[in-house]
Amino acid sequence: MTTSDEALLADLRRVLGDRVRADSAERALLRRDASVFEGGSAGPTCLCESTEEVQQVVQIALAHDRAIVPRGAGTGLAGGAIPLGSPVVVSLSRMNRILEVDTEARIAWVEPGVVNLDLTKYLTPLGYHFAPDPSSQQVCTIGGNVGNNSGGPHCLAYGVTNAHILAIEVVLADGGVVTLGGLNAEPAGYDLRGVFVGGEGMLGITTKVAVRITPNPPAVRTLLLSFDTPRDAATTVSAVIAAGIVPAAMEVMDQRITIAVENYVNVGYPRDAGAVLLAEVDGLPDGVEIDAKRIAEIGREHGATDVRQAQSDEERMLLWKGRKTAFGAVAQIAPNYYLHDTVVPRSKLADTLEEVYRIADEYDLAVVNVFHAGDGNLHPLLLFNGQEPGIYDRVHAAGAKIVEASLAAGGVLSGEHGIGVEKQPYMHQMFSDDDLDHQERLRHAFDPACRSNPGKVIPVGHSCADIQSLRATPEGVWG
Amino acid sequence: MDLGIDPDRLGTCVQCGLCLSSCPTYRVTGDETFSPRGRIALMRQVQLHDAPLTPEVTEAFDTCIQCLGCEPACPSVVPYGHFIESTRAALTEHRGPWKRSVALWPLSKPRLLRIGSTLLAVAQRLRLVPARLGLPQRLPFRRPTHRTSGSDVYLFTGCVMDVWQREVHFATQRVLEAAGFGVTPTGDQAGCCGALHTHAGLLNRGEQLTQQVDAALDPSIPIIVNSAGCGAHLKQHSSHQVFDAQEFLAQHLDRLPEVTPLEMTVAVQDPCHLRHVQRAHLPTRTLLKRFVNTVSELDDDGLCCGAGGAYSILQPKMAQQVRDRKVASITRAAPDVVASANPGCSMHLAAGGVTIEHPMVIVDNALRAG
Repeated sequence: MTTSDEALLADLRRVLGDRVRADSAERALLRRDASVFEGGSAGPTCLCESTEEVQQVVQIALAHDRAIVPRGAGTGLAGGAIPLGSPVVVSLSRMNRILEVDTEARIAWVEPGVVNLDLTKYLTPLGYHFAPDPSSQQVCTIGGNVGNNSGGPHCLAYGVTNAHILAIEVVLADGGVVTLGGLNAEPAGYDLRGVFVGGEGMLGITTKVAVRITPNPPAVRTLLLSFDTPRDAATTVSAVIAAGIVPAAMEVMDQRITIAVENYVNVGYPRDAGAVLLAEVDGLPDGVEIDAKRIAEIGREHGATDVRQAQSDEERMLLWKGRKTAFGAVAQIAPNYYLHDTVVPRSKLADTLEEVYRIADEYDLAVVNVFHAGDGNLHPLLLFNGQEPGIYDRVHAAGAKIVEASLAAGGVLSGEHGIGVEKQPYMHQMFSDDDLDHQERLRHAFDPACRSNPGKVIPVGHSCADIQSLRATPEGVWG
Repeated sequence: MDLGIDPDRLGTCVQCGLCLSSCPTYRVTGDETFSPRGRIALMRQVQLHDAPLTPEVTEAFDTCIQCLGCEPACPSVVPYGHFIESTRAALTEHRGPWKRSVALWPLSKPRLLRIGSTLLAVAQRLRLVPARLGLPQRLPFRRPTHRTSGSDVYLFTGCVMDVWQREVHFATQRVLEAAGFGVTPTGDQAGCCGALHTHAGLLNRGEQLTQQVDAALDPSIPIIVNSAGCGAHLKQHSSHQVFDAQEFLAQHLDRLPEVTPLEMTVAVQDPCHLRHVQRAHLPTRTLLKRFVNTVSELDDDGLCCGAGGAYSILQPKMAQQVRDRKVASITRAAPDVVASANPGCSMHLAAGGVTIEHPMVIVDNALRAG
């Protein structure tokens, strides 16, 4: 440990006591999130409990010329929370209080470390929920949802995180505290709240959030449709939307992943179907009956071999549990995964899917597809064993081809997982130099010295001068 | 250092983090080091990459309560319980297993245990036992002897529970008899099952004690266990048929007499070894619903209470933080009494000010009230 590290630690401990961790175990663990990427060495980790503490930590880091990286539950899939270099990690997991719920105004003030599903469980007896439901909702935090503008199966009808955030208290990289947005329907001035949501920790650290809470629908119907091929499932999805129905959620899983989740949840997902479509409609009882019936008909017209409706809440929850734990279930097939998060126009979904299978074949990799079909948001997971020599090169190359194919189909890089370090190298394919310059300038408006989560999102050549020594997607992050 | 974990199985964690919320020590610390994902990553570093066993690394392993709440949360069905058991065994070996062997030695000596407990009861009356040890408030001086009423089932009486909570055994026996079963309490013929030894990393000794239990009992007679920890261990290690008491009785609900349900609200606290290991926590509700007015659920998704066998004594600080979280959940549910089917949990929670009974005692009370 260098002398400067010791001085930094001493200052941090004066504020946080034993809630500063700097041992080798902690440093090693925080090099990773839920992605395949490994960062540098996490600097001291500060387990903060209040806005004031976050502010003091940021000021101390600034005084010691150190960058900061905010971290929630570390369930990100793009390496957004991994440390590059040796920054101070600001952990927000202990800031997990639900501060205030106003059902009349339909607003809740929460701290950033509140677990997404904990908020919904808290609201359930009051008749409300927090609509964005990322598949990792049982562990991911609201702060992380804000940082990544997270989506989830039910965001098809309800909109992604951005639509559910009213105001955010932020500690900026210089230690200042500001509140972006407000509780009024039309706050004055530029929508800086909208800028901040999806900022991936590069615009400052979220310390308090006012979220919109959504009334629970009076009726819900969940359908499970089986198909011979993913193509049939994908065309059904397009046809449902074309028929003017906007279901609450439409999710597709291919055969291999369906078998893996069925091994875990045992709810009766068909093991012999080429793909399944999980469709949910909610609203008034009469409406959902009509929509459910119509979706079943459209499914059959497009090759559904079986249509089943969840008969109880318990069955419905289990079906969703299967879908939402799909990524974690892949270790049944291979010990490592790398997934993309591209979005393509719904009409191109079936073609792009077939291209993804072809690319995986070309590189001799296993691939499973589980995705938010209603949004055209693909999640191809390349499965591999990281111990195999040279495997990361193949995985990386196949990933690049998948991105290329998605962009060629008129798609975008990321639906909801963020750019992090993972998609940084592809930013040039999506944006012109001019676009990237403007994004960088926007970032500077919040954080001129690029101290907050440096080295992410914006690729090399567009990053701040003081972190030029950090290559974008630095050497070694790939395993 | 070799932790004795199969490297292929150690590779099955993809680090998705879906286990985090189900881990009591992560929940109270918010610190990755105290999470299943973090602990598995550290096991990998120690076993596969020869990382040093620093105090922080051993602390990460020692603070695991082994509640196994992470196992049902894992979609890849990573056998975490096997990992931590193996890690504990390697650590115990590394530190010198004699310390733990000595500490647990009395468990396999029933008479010594009774004498020790009586001395402890005297010391308690003389106010020589600090409350923080979490012992039952008034240990009994004397214990009425067991009686045999038939040989349809064994009632497994175990070690510490038989000394400190024998009344729970009597209640369980009365309920089994009310359902028409002749009961043989195992008593001294089959003492400690070895669960605490296995938990503490003394795997061979644990196995040996289980074999002694098996050898002493007739394999054709089912063993009924009313301690969730012992039941979980016996189900995994014994070759006999083993049932949790509530699980067994819920299957024979029609044999129990109809009585007026007790006017009370009971909140069910699931012992981890019943819920996560035996996965037999629902029968407790089936049974209680027949005998009390209202059965209510806690809102913490069955998170551990922090007792963990000897954990509350070995890791008092963490155990208390975990208990505080549980007590807050109990306070929100505001029941008249909490039902818990494990002696460790009930002692730990009682020391935290919770009114707690074994479900068998509640059912017995209802049956006796008629």
